Amino acid sequence: MKIVLTVLLMLAFSGCASVAKVETGERAVGERLAVTLDSAWNHIRAPGIGPAEIWTMEGLPVDQLLIYSGIRDGQAIHVERAAGSGSQKSFSFRSGMQPDEIAAMFEGMLTRDGSRFKLEKLEPVTFGGGKGLRFEYSLTRKIDNVQLSGIGYGRVSKGELFAIVYMAPRLTFFSRHAPSAEQISRSARIKE
Amino acid sequence: MACGPAFAQTGWQAPARFVRPELSTDEGGLWSLMEREETRLRRSPFSIRDPRLRDYVQDIACRLAGEHCPDVRVYLVQTPLFNANMAPNGMMQVWTGLMLRVDNEAQLAAVMGHEIGHYLARHSLERLRDVKSRAAFGQFLGLLGVAGAVGQLAVLASAFAYSRDQEREADQFGMILMRQAGYDPVEAGKVWANLLLEIKARPDGDAGRNSPMFASHPSPESRQETLQQLADASPGGVTNEDAWRERTRPFMREWLTDEIKRGQHEESIALFNRMIARVPSQADFVYARGEVYRLRARGDDLNAALADYQTAVSCGGEPPETHRGLGAIHRQRNQLPEARASFQRYLELAPAAPDAPMIKSYMEEAGT
Repeated sequence: MKIVLTVLLMLAFSGCASVAKVETGERAVGERLAVTLDSAWNHIRAPGIGPAEIWTMEGLPVDQLLIYSGIRDGQAIHVERAAGSGSQKSFSFRSGMQPDEIAAMFEGMLTRDGSRFKLEKLEPVTFGGGKGLRFEYSLTRKIDNVQLSGIGYGRVSKGELFAIVYMAPRLTFFSRHAPSAEQISRSARIKE
Repeated sequence: MACGPAFAQTGWQAPARFVRPELSTDEGGLWSLMEREETRLRRSPFSIRDPRLRDYVQDIACRLAGEHCPDVRVYLVQTPLFNANMAPNGMMQVWTGLMLRVDNEAQLAAVMGHEIGHYLARHSLERLRDVKSRAAFGQFLGLLGVAGAVGQLAVLASAFAYSRDQEREADQFGMILMRQAGYDPVEAGKVWANLLLEIKARPDGDAGRNSPMFASHPSPESRQETLQQLADASPGGVTNEDAWRERTRPFMREWLTDEIKRGQHEESIALFNRMIARVPSQADFVYARGEVYRLRARGDDLNAALADYQTAVSCGGEPPETHRGLGAIHRQRNQLPEARASFQRYLELAPAAPDAPMIKSYMEEAGT
């Protein structure tokens, strides 16, 4: 069944998705977030995805950089299913969340399909010009048992969440692209 | 379920052990497909490899399966959902979400017996042939050739639910196997009654496609009723609750953590309420409920979380995270000395915690 669903998903994507190159230099994401890129990325656009912008180096589902810009109080951090189409839990941002709760929210979102998440590190950092959080994690993907590594940055500004999360297979790909994801995260600026 | 108790008295005999079917047959193709799946499962990082727990559950399966024991291979899968299933080649999966939810060995035996019932009645093959007989599918699959067709059919068959009749039959066989193995059949109905509590707690009251078992099975209400009727026909037997608790204790904290992470707050609270009612002094259960309240953070949840954390501490043997939760609530309430003390205790108990750098920053904020 998973195979059938995957094929259908691929077909759906092949007909609707588009990929645009994100050139090096300064890039705005949403109204209040700007980042600077040292290397070019690919921006995946497709109907029904969001609220994060999805960037990739190797193509989905190999690696993905999720950029959240201005998630409001009560807004889910993933695509929500239509009412009645299933009972998967929604993971929504609350403006009063503490850093560990923000990390837990991303953990919940990333494990909705039964994947296994392990928090490796959670620390305070400066992100987007203010006090934020950084976390490292490992993820065992349920659908294919692939072991991924990931990093995430986040900060709440004026009640809105800004975050950048990158993940890729632990072997080869994470070490290849994590430095670029770190550089983008460290370059983030949030308009106050 | 008029046929239930009467059926149970007919002296049903399990079939003889199955012989591996020829690969050229549809059943052979199905086995081949399942063997590939079993190879994948054997290597899966989600498989629990602890030999003591695996042997323990395998032994329960063997007691139920009787002479089919050598053909039943149990795999414990770390996934926090209520599910078990059995493939026609003898591969059985038992998920940790099921093991968290059963109160004793007899309740697990009820679910495993049901799955062995499907296996003995070869219901998967029936499903495969049912799908195959559909003309539209037949024409479509004919394009794929024989080998491809068998594989595709198996995939398609897995998308189809067992029929209600097959489910009833598996329930009946399962009850017979339970009795033969010496388990109290009354426990079978309790499995579904307990699950109903969780389902009813859901905000949408949806019976739930959250559990793979619900996607294809009769409603828990009707199942509970049916099983109760079957059990009434022949009461008595053991539950082995103490043995179950003892064997699963080393894994309980991890399974509770997985349940908390699911983010299904209402279901988890209903589950933990039931577990606490059964064993009130178990700090892990009380902590788990408090953690869910804290993460939900609605209405009076933080007060409820605080009370649970404090109870867990008073029970003794609480998880270190209990103190982290206490610290977080105190911090939110600007009760800085209390926050600092709780975070300090957390780090004393879990100095290598991955969130230690963040917790230390909280403590610095709180001052001395």
